[in-house]
Amino acid sequence: MVTVFGAPAPLRVGVADLSVMVQGAADQNSVLDAKVRLHLKRSSATNVFEIVVPASHAAATNKLLYAAHVNLPSAGKWNLEVGVTRGDLAASASGDINVLPPEPPLASHWLYIALVPLLIVLFAANQWLKRNRRFRRFRVRP
Amino acid sequence: MNSVASAALTSWTLSARVIAILLIASAVYFRGWLRGRRLIRQEQDYLRLWAFLGGLGVLFLATESPLDAFDSLFLSAHMAQHLLLMMVAPPLVLLGHPTLPLLRGLPRRFVKEGLGPFLSWPLLKRILRSLTSPPIALLAFAVSTIFWHLPKFYELALRSPGWHAAQHASFFWTGILFWWPVVQPGPGKFRWPRWIAIPHLLLADVLNTVLSAFFVFSGRLLYPTYEAIRASRMSAQDDQTIAGLIMWVPGSIIYLVPALVIAVKLFSPVVPLSYTRRARRVSAPRVSRTVLSRLPQLRRVAQGAMLLLAIAVMANGWWGTQVAPLNLAGVLPWIHWRALSVLALLIVGNLFCMACPFTFVRDIGRKVLPAGLRWPRWLRKKWLPAALFVVYLWAYEAFGLWDSPWLTAWVIAAYFLAALVIDGVFRGASFCKYICPIGQFHFISSLVSPREVRIRHSAVCKTCQTHDCIRGNDHARGCELYLFQPKKASNLDCTFCLDCVKACPHDNVGILPVAPASTLIGDPYRSSIGRLSKRTDLAVLALLIVFGAFVNAAGMVAPVMMWEHGWHAKLGPKTMPAIVGVFVIGGAVLAPLLAVLACAGFNRLRMAGPEVTRRFIFTLVPIGVGMWAAHLLYHFAIGWGAPWVQVSSVPTWLTSAQMLVLDAGLLLTLYVAWRVANQYTRKLRSALALGMPWAVLSCMLYATGVWILFQPMQMRGMLH
Repeated sequence: MVTVFGAPAPLRVGVADLSVMVQGAADQNSVLDAKVRLHLKRSSATNVFEIVVPASHAAATNKLLYAAHVNLPSAGKWNLEVGVTRGDLAASASGDINVLPPEPPLASHWLYIALVPLLIVLFAANQWLKRNRRFRRFRVRP
Repeated sequence: MNSVASAALTSWTLSARVIAILLIASAVYFRGWLRGRRLIRQEQDYLRLWAFLGGLGVLFLATESPLDAFDSLFLSAHMAQHLLLMMVAPPLVLLGHPTLPLLRGLPRRFVKEGLGPFLSWPLLKRILRSLTSPPIALLAFAVSTIFWHLPKFYELALRSPGWHAAQHASFFWTGILFWWPVVQPGPGKFRWPRWIAIPHLLLADVLNTVLSAFFVFSGRLLYPTYEAIRASRMSAQDDQTIAGLIMWVPGSIIYLVPALVIAVKLFSPVVPLSYTRRARRVSAPRVSRTVLSRLPQLRRVAQGAMLLLAIAVMANGWWGTQVAPLNLAGVLPWIHWRALSVLALLIVGNLFCMACPFTFVRDIGRKVLPAGLRWPRWLRKKWLPAALFVVYLWAYEAFGLWDSPWLTAWVIAAYFLAALVIDGVFRGASFCKYICPIGQFHFISSLVSPREVRIRHSAVCKTCQTHDCIRGNDHARGCELYLFQPKKASNLDCTFCLDCVKACPHDNVGILPVAPASTLIGDPYRSSIGRLSKRTDLAVLALLIVFGAFVNAAGMVAPVMMWEHGWHAKLGPKTMPAIVGVFVIGGAVLAPLLAVLACAGFNRLRMAGPEVTRRFIFTLVPIGVGMWAAHLLYHFAIGWGAPWVQVSSVPTWLTSAQMLVLDAGLLLTLYVAWRVANQYTRKLRSALALGMPWAVLSCMLYATGVWILFQPMQMRGMLH
């Protein structure tokens, strides 16, 4: 049994983390000693993109999975085929994945830009409080 | 251990961001804890320290351990993670009584000036008091627990890393609110009676029991994602039952044990805490001062090491392969040295000039060279190094210095020769002060450094008759850049040579902390420099360094390179240096000129003269340094391993780190501009009007910087 996880969700043009979980069909235990290969293919009117990349435990955070970092060059529907070999046994599974256009940099980094006005507002509040405090002190002085 | 278990146990997330936050929090707490112990020693000091660090350790386990790697596969793992975030980490953190140690651990001035007004704001105090009151805290905790366990929102958090982080943050922070009335960490007396914690905990346990019973007995699969994945033989329904049991049994224990302890304590006689006040404050040996006091001796070692590196770079540049990423002359000066010297500026100060190999050779040469003439008076300004800096910006792009080891080697050799000849003929450090563009870059940039070579106590200098810091003595020469320590008010023109530190007979000069860019706020008379408001040449140099940061970074992004190559194709071969010249002159000379004229024009409407303009020009230095740092960080991050490691892609954290550096630069610029504006007028509106053109200019520079950072960049200095 083969399950594929993709990050980010949804997948976008750029570097994607594709992780594969391989389980025995009978006992559903994780298979850790297989060789896993990802084959991604996309045909458009003008270009054919093809990526073949091995997936490994080393690239995965969860060491039960096999992962590969794949640079997806274009948006659209990609065909993903996962090839698994273990000794003499071989299996494969395939399916389509949808890759969206890259997120505009502003959309992915807006937080860092928003940090500036946020801190400016906090500074303005700080100055306002200081002025108020000075004013209060001045008023209570006999 | 079987292979599955061992694979599971090695699945650590180890996110640099989380680890950095936890380490910073630990360091700040520990610093504050140490300071607190110097003032008053309590019996529970160590318990508090270990509790706080333990709380952070639990946070680390919850977010970085295999629990995190498996939370998308098993509900039980996710539940254990949530248990740690809500019920273990918050009480441990609060048992560390963190408020005072964290405040003590932060820079005093920041706490007093930055946080002080907020901490003493009655409205905020009221809000915090309400949030930590048992009813509100329990309500927040209950809402957060129920909300995130609703299938719709739980699934959302499973799908989206952003929402997942929000879920964990809300668990932890509502956990802090919930446990506050139980632990009552202070400071100050808690307004509710102690017994209130018992019903508070019991009610939470009731909620926990109801929710976990629903998980165990509902018979409905709440979260279909786990069924879709089926990571093991265990069914998703069984997994849900285990999750419910984890929530139920350990969860109830965590609520009931403290309730029991508090009940027992309430019925026990009160034992007063024993305080041991120290008879007198004992100052522990200060490691930093010990290390820094040895720096004058270490300087020669650093200079020697840099000299050897420079010789290796030149040799490799002349006789090695001319593929820049495989040659030391293509890698060390342009990737490592530039980035590390700017990093040193941001962390300590002008360490490059301290370890300068050029002045090392000069010092050796002076044993035979006369070095008796005085530097011509008409050249005692910064115009020449300013012009040389523009030449550097142009030559770097026009001749692709970064891509030519051979040329780089010649530039370094020319530098050695110039330092030797000029300082071999003229007295003092004329080369450093009046010629070296690298030195000028470091002088100006070190205005934002957190350390400065300065005096410890002005009273000691007032009684000093010998002025060894500038005149020198038998042990050390005096300052070669004519900086008289009592009147030296910034890092400007300071090479961190530490001659003054060595020469001072009173041990009154050191590398001491200073708030970054704070020396730009005032305009005192500075030894050997005068007032910044009177120095047009220095202001122009600062402006070139600020705008040069953007020009230098823009030169490697796709739109600018396409523009250059477009003109190159139109105008024909051998025109590239001229095209680059137009770009550099336009960006680093004409653009700042027009911008400053516009700002000065607006200021003139408010009767502000050129002195004000010069003062405000210096306020742009932080954003300029921010841009240099962001740009050089890029080269360093992708090329640090060259020529040994081939990097295939840009690290995902890089743009975020660059943005943070640029943010810091902009904020510091705006702050300094605000303080400078306030020196000219006490009225809020007038200060805003005076500083506004400069604030707009710095925001425009920031926008330009963001645009540059978002462009595809040429991966210089690496094989690709």
